[in-house]
Amino acid sequence: MAKVRKVAKKTKKSVTKKSRSLVVRKAAGKRAGRQINKEAFGIQETVIEQAKFSHPGIAYVRRMMPQELPHQYGKDKIVLQVRDPWWIHAYWEVNAATIERLKNDLGEDFYKAKRILRAYDVSQIIFNGKNAHRFFDIAINEYASSWYIDTAGSGRSWCVDLGLLLPNGKFIMIVRSNVVHTPIEGPSWITDEEWMIPEDMFARLYGMGFGFGRSSPVGKGWQQKIKKDFFSSGIASMASPVKKMAKERQFWLVVNTELIVYGATEPDAQVTVQNKVIRLRPDGTFTLRFALPDGKQVIPVEARSYDRVERRKITPIVNKETK
Amino acid sequence: MHSHLPYVRHPEHENFLEEDWLYEAITETYIPLIVVFERLLNDGVDFRITISLTPTLISMLQDGLLQERYLRHINKLIELGHKEVDRTRWQGELNHLAHMYLGRFYEARNIFEKYNRNLVSAFKAFQDAGKIEIITCGATHGYFPLMEVVRPSIKAQIKVAASHYERTFGRKPKGIWLPECGYYPGYDEIFKEAGIKYFFADAHGVLHGSPRPKYGVFAPVYCKSGVACFGRDLESSKQVWSSIEGYPGDYNYREFYRDIGFDLDFEYIRPYIHPDGVRINTGIKYYRITGPTEQKEPYVPQWARDKAAAHAGNFLFNRHRQVEYLYDLLDKKPLIISPYDAELYGHWWYEGPMWLDFLIRKIAFDQDMIRLITPSEYLAENPRNQVITPSMSSWGWKGYNEMWLQGANDWIYPHLHAASERMTELAKSFSGTEGVLKRALNQALRELLLAQGSDWAFIMGTGTHTAYAVRRTKEHLLCFTRLYEDIKNNCIDEGWLADIEHKDNIFPDIDYRVHQ
Repeated sequence: MAKVRKVAKKTKKSVTKKSRSLVVRKAAGKRAGRQINKEAFGIQETVIEQAKFSHPGIAYVRRMMPQELPHQYGKDKIVLQVRDPWWIHAYWEVNAATIERLKNDLGEDFYKAKRILRAYDVSQIIFNGKNAHRFFDIAINEYASSWYIDTAGSGRSWCVDLGLLLPNGKFIMIVRSNVVHTPIEGPSWITDEEWMIPEDMFARLYGMGFGFGRSSPVGKGWQQKIKKDFFSSGIASMASPVKKMAKERQFWLVVNTELIVYGATEPDAQVTVQNKVIRLRPDGTFTLRFALPDGKQVIPVEARSYDRVERRKITPIVNKETK
Repeated sequence: MHSHLPYVRHPEHENFLEEDWLYEAITETYIPLIVVFERLLNDGVDFRITISLTPTLISMLQDGLLQERYLRHINKLIELGHKEVDRTRWQGELNHLAHMYLGRFYEARNIFEKYNRNLVSAFKAFQDAGKIEIITCGATHGYFPLMEVVRPSIKAQIKVAASHYERTFGRKPKGIWLPECGYYPGYDEIFKEAGIKYFFADAHGVLHGSPRPKYGVFAPVYCKSGVACFGRDLESSKQVWSSIEGYPGDYNYREFYRDIGFDLDFEYIRPYIHPDGVRINTGIKYYRITGPTEQKEPYVPQWARDKAAAHAGNFLFNRHRQVEYLYDLLDKKPLIISPYDAELYGHWWYEGPMWLDFLIRKIAFDQDMIRLITPSEYLAENPRNQVITPSMSSWGWKGYNEMWLQGANDWIYPHLHAASERMTELAKSFSGTEGVLKRALNQALRELLLAQGSDWAFIMGTGTHTAYAVRRTKEHLLCFTRLYEDIKNNCIDEGWLADIEHKDNIFPDIDYRVHQ
């Protein structure tokens, strides 16, 4: 195909299946920190949306081998994205030239230094590198190019440096990220004077919004109660609309039987099977296929010549049972 | 009702598996819904439904090649339908179902031809009649919260969508359905620029908004820009989604996983599955859910129909209880938003369109406590609403961004973001161009938009059949990269450009300058 050949000329990387799977594997190993309990919120939408894409895509793989995307874009950078109220994700790129420069500047210290991510809480301030409320360090290995960071909080603003921590405690920043804001994990504590409502009433509305109806908890600790109910037992009721997937079957066997009735006559004859007219192929042959249930099937096959003068009839009788 | 499919069009292949997503949706969802709306109109029943049709879906429904292929597809199904009628002649409990499906396939073809193969015109007609309100969505359904670092891409997605909508429907879109309801504070300003007056967010987007919403999700709120935000009500949504409390799992309804494409003898079904021998869904399914086990009994249409009517009544009853309670609590008429993926109706839940039909008729004739309304109408009747800033949220798995940002798909973002930055660079460098250069710039934006479709990351996240999604992401990015380099080096290959213009031909009137 014209397009593929021309693209191949331009791309510098060579195409190998191995390098493609390497990219995916590397990304998969990047998760840091604790496992979050799987929550079913949004699972029902996911399953139904997934049903849209219900056909296997096996066939196309044989047609084309995709080329590879570049491993680097040439600019030192680190980019932050928010995943949810508690986790942010960082990916970065550092040029070989930058690494060289650091090696020259730091000499031996470079090899003794630890590569780290330093995450700063910069909520409500303009960050100048030194005025963060607090920060924490994450040790990473030199092959990593992305990381999931558990900020152990929500509703804060974060900035992350990629850098080297020297043995004497000094931190050398290599590159600094953009600032991101994680959303709060519950209702806001800010209320509007003009649109005030009592706490209990809001608690009810909140619970109702999550589908608890009139039984949504109110009173002290209602937020904790809702979270507990929604994200634990609440899960079962919001779970997938799929009752059972065929794939989850245990060992099984299915047997069906069909009957093929076929024959031939003059191409211009009229043929009926069980009194129903059937079509002949141009050469006068015919084939019929039937699902064969238990019981007796009487199958009169009758052919009449084109001028209606002659007739032939043959009646197979089939008995089927299942033991 | 959110109707979306990613842009899948492969003129270079005679038969392309993933194009089937469109043909299935047409046969099993869009046409059945059109039939329901037609009948309601003919019977003089008043109703209001809000429907989002994404630009990619609209483009495919209006594309000549895909329309031609759909006809080929439905004709094959009709052929299969006839064979099934013959084959099941001695199976009484199945034969009448074979007739039923054959009838549905003929009906699908008739409706398709009736609207001159352009189903968008059907929805437009319903909108012009004042019964539905069609809203737009991101141009290629890109997931916005993960484009935060490249906001020009979000602007481009929205502007391209709004232009496309205007060209299709002859007026500006009043509302937008955010892809996956993915919201981050500030998008409302972009909507306002495009003339869009409202959008939707998931329940926690509104409930966790600041300051606290006085009416919960039961009234819209205004963002600071004046654009309204409508929050999803999980209680009513749950009735349709949930497997334990919800309707589609009822034992009398049709079983999705017993399709003859998988059940029947290979040699027989071979012409109707993929040419490479891969079994696929045909849409002909003879069994009902029956129970929680693998044991399935034949589908009985009359029982399913009765159940659908009962469920419609039940839904209405529950809404009455909900509304009564809320009215007492809030001292204001509550608004309930129940959004769904359109594919739920018909494709996934076979009886869905029937249930909807029953529900609409019951609302129209059997009561007067509630009525159906569009967001525009509601805002016209209730112009005064609280101002809050909704919280970042989505209606995806776990309520935030994880579905599209996890081990299986996080590798795409360095590439997508780099491409976005390059696109902004191109848009700024060339403020007015002509000829081949202009074509190349426009095509670069097309390739970028196509790479940004959230469907690709979604499919990668589900872990099944991911190869196609990976391929689409890579190919569009590679095309973009090549265009970028060619443009910068002033050596555009016109032959190759014409090739990909022909293949990735979405948004013919696109203007690359919106990306900044």
